[in-house]
Formats: sequence, C-alpha cells, structure tokens
Amino acid sequence: MSLTTNIIAAHDHVLHFPKDGKPSLAPNEWLIWSSSQDEGGLPDLEHGKKKVLVPFTWWINHHHEADIQAKAKNGQIGVWFAADDDTLKHADLVEQGKQIWPLVAAHFPIFRDGRSFSTAALLRDRFQWTGEIRAIGDVLIDQLLQGARVGFDSFALRPDQKTDVALKQFDLFTVTTQNSWRSKRSLLATNKE
Amino acid sequence: MYKYDHIDQTLVDQRVAQFRDQVARRLDGSLAEEEFRPLRLQNGLYHQRHAYMLRVAIPYGLFNSKQLRTMALIAEKYDRGYGHFTTRQNIQYNWVTLEDTPDILAELAKVEMHAIQTSGNCIRNITSDAFAGVAGDEYVDPRPICELLRQWSTLHPEFAHLPRKFKFAINGAKEDRTILLCHDVGIELKKNTNGELIADIYAGGGMGRTPILGSLIKTGLPWQLLPSYLTALLRVYNRFGRRDNLYKARIKILVKALSPEEFARQVEGEWLFNKDSDVNFTQAEWDRVAKHFTKPAYLSLAKLSDQQVINTASEAERASFARWLERNVKPHQVPGYASVILSLKPHGSVAPGDATIAQMLAIADLADQYSFGELRATHEQNLVLADVEQSKLYELWQEAKKQKVALPNIGLLTDIIACPGGDFCSLANAKSLPIAKAIQERFDDLDYLFDLGDISLNISGCINSCGHHHVGNIGVLGVDKDGEEWYQITLGGEQGNDAAIGKVIGPSFYADEIPDVMTNIINTYVAQRNDDEPFIETYRRLGVTTFKEAAYKNAKKKEKAETAGDAS
Repeated sequence: MSLTTNIIAAHDHVLHFPKDGKPSLAPNEWLIWSSSQDEGGLPDLEHGKKKVLVPFTWWINHHHEADIQAKAKNGQIGVWFAADDDTLKHADLVEQGKQIWPLVAAHFPIFRDGRSFSTAALLRDRFQWTGEIRAIGDVLIDQLLQGARVGFDSFALRPDQKTDVALKQFDLFTVTTQNSWRSKRSLLATNKE
Repeated sequence: MYKYDHIDQTLVDQRVAQFRDQVARRLDGSLAEEEFRPLRLQNGLYHQRHAYMLRVAIPYGLFNSKQLRTMALIAEKYDRGYGHFTTRQNIQYNWVTLEDTPDILAELAKVEMHAIQTSGNCIRNITSDAFAGVAGDEYVDPRPICELLRQWSTLHPEFAHLPRKFKFAINGAKEDRTILLCHDVGIELKKNTNGELIADIYAGGGMGRTPILGSLIKTGLPWQLLPSYLTALLRVYNRFGRRDNLYKARIKILVKALSPEEFARQVEGEWLFNKDSDVNFTQAEWDRVAKHFTKPAYLSLAKLSDQQVINTASEAERASFARWLERNVKPHQVPGYASVILSLKPHGSVAPGDATIAQMLAIADLADQYSFGELRATHEQNLVLADVEQSKLYELWQEAKKQKVALPNIGLLTDIIACPGGDFCSLANAKSLPIAKAIQERFDDLDYLFDLGDISLNISGCINSCGHHHVGNIGVLGVDKDGEEWYQITLGGEQGNDAAIGKVIGPSFYADEIPDVMTNIINTYVAQRNDDEPFIETYRRLGVTTFKEAAYKNAKKKEKAETAGDAS
C-alpha cells in the first residue's frame, strides 16, 4: 500500500483466470497509478513495485516520450481505461498500444457501474486484444463471473474481498444461454455440427 | 408452452444455489447491505415498507396450472395467503423473509420458474401480448421470439449493470396490447413480402418522470439478427447512458439527447462489427423453441353466434351472462373457441391484481378443465384462459362467479390498473390502493359502468409509474407535498396503436376529493358524448379545458402553484 492518494487500492493478491485455464492467485506486482495530481509524474519504479498501470488519459499525453515507450516495451507500464474513456474514439492509439502494452486494465469506479464490461467486450471483439485485461477499482466477488465472461482474465479485487470465496465463483454455472468471450452458449457448444 | 430442457433447468437451479450463497454471506455480515442490494434486486427481491417483496417472473405472461398451484403454495407457506399480479406480467409476494427466499426460489425452479432479472438495472422480464397465439388479429405468434430473447438476456454478463432498468415488449398483432411504445425497446414482429419473419425496433420509450413514446430506429431486421442488433443497441446505451442522475439514466434520455436518428446511427455503427457473428439465432434454435408453441389439440367445432352462446344460459341469467360475454370474452383464431378474461378487479374489496390461495387453486383447476391447463397474465393485472370452447362458456362463467373472478368489468372504469403504492412500496409518495377502492365503490353500479363503456383508469403511487398512469384515459399520480399525499390527474392517455401520454390537468387533489373529481369528469363525458362515442374520443374532440373546469368545480383547497407538471 502506498501512502500517496495517487494510487488506486487493490488486494495484495491478483486473481488470474486465463481463458481455458483455472483460477489462481498471484502476488500483485502492479501499482495502479491514478495520476489524479498530474504534476507528480510517474511513481518511482526503482524502489517498491516496479510495474505501473497508468491512466489511458495520461498515456494519450505522454506516450510519445522515449522513456515511457521504453518502460512499456520493457513490461513496466500498462494502461488502464477509466469507465468513461472512449476506446473507439482513440482507436489508433489503442491499436498502437496493442503492440507494446504488457497488459491493460479497466476500472470500476463503483461495483454497480457496468461500463467497463463493455470496454472489455470491445477490446476483445473489436480490437482483438489477446493479452491480459485486468479489472481494477471497486471489484467485488459477485462481479467476477460477469467480468470473466465479457473478457477480463485477471482481477485486482478490492482489498477487503475474501480470495477463498472469490476463487469459488467461476464454476457456479455449467451452462450459459448466450455467447461470451469464454464460450459459446451451451446449445451451440453441445450441438456442434 | 415452453418446456425447460436440461440447459434451462440447470441454469435456474444453479442460479438458486448462487443466490443462496449470496444470502448466506449477507446474513453472516460478510456482504454489506449496500453491496447485496443490486444482487437481490437482480433476483426480484425488494426491501419494502414492512418486509421483503419477491417479484417472480411470468415470462411474456404465459404459465400453466401446475405453476399456478406452486404460486399458491408459496403464498400459503411463505406469505400471507395471496399473490399480486403486476403490470409487467410478474407475480409479487409482499411478506417474505430474506432467509426464506432461497427456498422459495428452489420451489419455483421445480416448476420451471424463477425471479431472475425481475428488478435491477438489467434487462427485465420480457413482456408480450397476453393473447399471443390465439388473437384473431395476429400477424405473427411472438412467443418463440419472446422465449429466444428470454434465454439470450438471462444472466447476460455485459448488461448486468446498465445505467438503469431496461424493459422489452414484443408484439406480433395488428392491435398493440403490450404498450410497445412505452418500453425501452419495443419489438414489432411481422412478415415481409416473402413471408419471412422480420422485426421493427422502437427505442427510447418509457413512462416514469419523463414519459416519451419510443422512436422507430430500425425496420425489417431479420429475426435471426436480433441478438447482434440488440447487443449493439445495449452496448451504446451501457457506454453512454447517463449515470450521474438516477432520473436521467433511462435510455429514453439518451435517445432524446442524441436524437433518434443519431442513436440509430451509432447502433448501426456498432452493429457492423458483429452482425454476421454467431451470437445470432440459428434455425435450429428457432425449431427447438417453436415446437413448444404449436396449437393445442383443438376440436373441430362449429363457430357459435353470440346469440347461440347466450342461449346456452338459463333464461333468468341471460342478461348478466351476455354482459360478461361482451366484456370478458374475446374472439379466437379457431372456430368454436374463445378467450376468457378472469377479472382480478372486484369492486372495493382487494387490491387490483390480487389473488388468494383459494382463487389460485380454483383457477388452476379451471385452466385444466377448460383451457388445456394454460393461463396468461395481462399487464392490466387480470388472468386469461385463452382456449375455451364457446359451448362451455356458460359453465365456466358459473364456476368463475363462485371464485369472484367473473365481474364483467374488463376495460371499464373499475378495471383499474394500480401499483401497490404507499401501503407496501417504499418508493411510493402516496397510497394508490385506497384510491382505487374509493373509485370502485363510487362507481359500483354495473349498469352505469356498462353504459359508460371503455375507459381506462390507471393509478401510480409515484412517478416511477408502475401503475401506468401516463397511458390511462384517466391517470392518477400520487405526489408528496410537504409530507402530505396529493393526487395529480392526467387525461387523454391511451395504450394501443394510438398510444398517447396523458396531460396533467392542473394542481393536485386530496385523496378524499378524488371520487368527486371522477364523478365530475365522468358526468361531463356523459353530458357531452355523441351516441356511442367512447370517453377518449369525446376527450379528444372537446379538449382538456371542458374536463378541467368540471374537475375543479368543487375542489376544496387550492394546492400551491408549483405543483403541476413535475415531468421534466
């Protein structure tokens, strides 16, 4: 945990749930920088956490900088999309970013705000992003299943969430009635021609 | 009707298990109420004034006698002996406990029922024509599409937390009986010149604080492409619908702000990317569902004339039987059959739409005996036996009278649509049930009601408009002014093909003034009507002023001026 208010809080462990894989926990290596006071610049990546997720709006203004490009290519900088970021409006930048971002994230300002579900769906459907998409912010146990189906494959849970309960969420349903990023609806999956 | 297969049953059973776990975490304190709230709402569980209320889905209004017996069982075991049929083809229980809810849902799952998405900011239970498959004016039986979309929308992950609730209505008949234009999305099914099933899509309609009729945004959509098109539509709404103000979060506000043309353009833009994908429906899926909506085993019968049917009654009863036939019995596609509406609107005794355990059990038996075991719930809060032999109408009428569901008031002034209002609902500003009761008591003379003819009277206890007051010929809206309950009157609303939003006539009234106000409005109609002119036509011909002057003729007290029209 950082002392600064520029950091979005997250659980110490990240829940990974790769497509066609099983859910598991791993230590959270990424700082989620909110850049709410822009003058401070990037957090120190020499000490403490060495990887940082930066806001997409910050990336728009700073992606030209050689140092930023280098850090991204080195796997130290990823971006996160705020709920009101319009990825389609900045499609060129997202396309470029696909070449260098080690991962992207989408933010939930509050758990009941579903905009980032559509962000993840767009990244998968329209941008064909195959890398990791992490859910950050107000990420609660009962959003995991929906998030996993729209395209998220890792979850930085809110710090108070219980990871043992979280891990159990993904096999609650063995059937579905609409397609998702993970699978076709059960009817198509079972009646393959 | 549709029958669950292994997939449907598994999904509903697993949903019960998921909710059981969520309830357990709420009860042990690990899930905070604020965070549990959207979870329980998405499973139909509200916290109301006195207790929890559970809203159970009756998808597109269709159910069977076995399901009705389970509804009765739940009323007996977990509630206070009755259920309430709502204005959106659901049934509500007003007195359940949180602890019991998972068991209730498990009971429902046994008879292929659930409470999934009957509330919350998600795609709600899909509603349709209560006379689907039997109506004489039907172009297309909407039930296969209703069922396909029920499945498509059930637990749809991307649209689980929309800006606000999202309601679909689907119509396939010449006459609209679904209030199609007052829905977030209205789907009108028809056949093109090649006989292929297509859909016209209306978006951005709704009641509530800002009543707006939906706009046509797409024509001629092949039925197979509904999922991709609706995904695009909902995605645009999910991304850009307002989330900063609860009262401006419905899709109608977005459609209005962008203009219907621009909204349609954005949806088309999004649709381009998935219109050919396998999210779309296949013929095999259609066949899987449509095979359940074939015609029941109708007998080959001669069509009876009205007089022949009337003559099946004893001479002494013919007049009242004829009256019931005229109001509560509707024509059917098949010769020798008719559809019967059982009135859940007795005068002044219970809330509109309420049915007791005894009534539910008896009606289930009537369904078995007279209508292939099937029933429908109407959005006007009555029940329908859709497939009754004309020659058995008299027998059925006598049985229905014993259950007090044979009042011949369908479409009349006392067939009031009303929300539960302030007696139950914690959102309500004012009570609606005592108003309905007072009006039914005032207009208790059947001869007079019959003479007045078609008049819709709808009452909502708050601006959320669950009582559909905006589309009542006469609408009553409960409003709160400085802690007092007042009632605002609208006139000129209508549902159906000439759907219209009623106009507020002026300052609000006290509850005890409402019966007199109604009398004044009705007397004006009676004095001014030409021949058989229905109320709504007289209103349209004369305009609001004549009725307004009559309504305020003996108003006791002037309400403060700022009240009229809080729609914004």
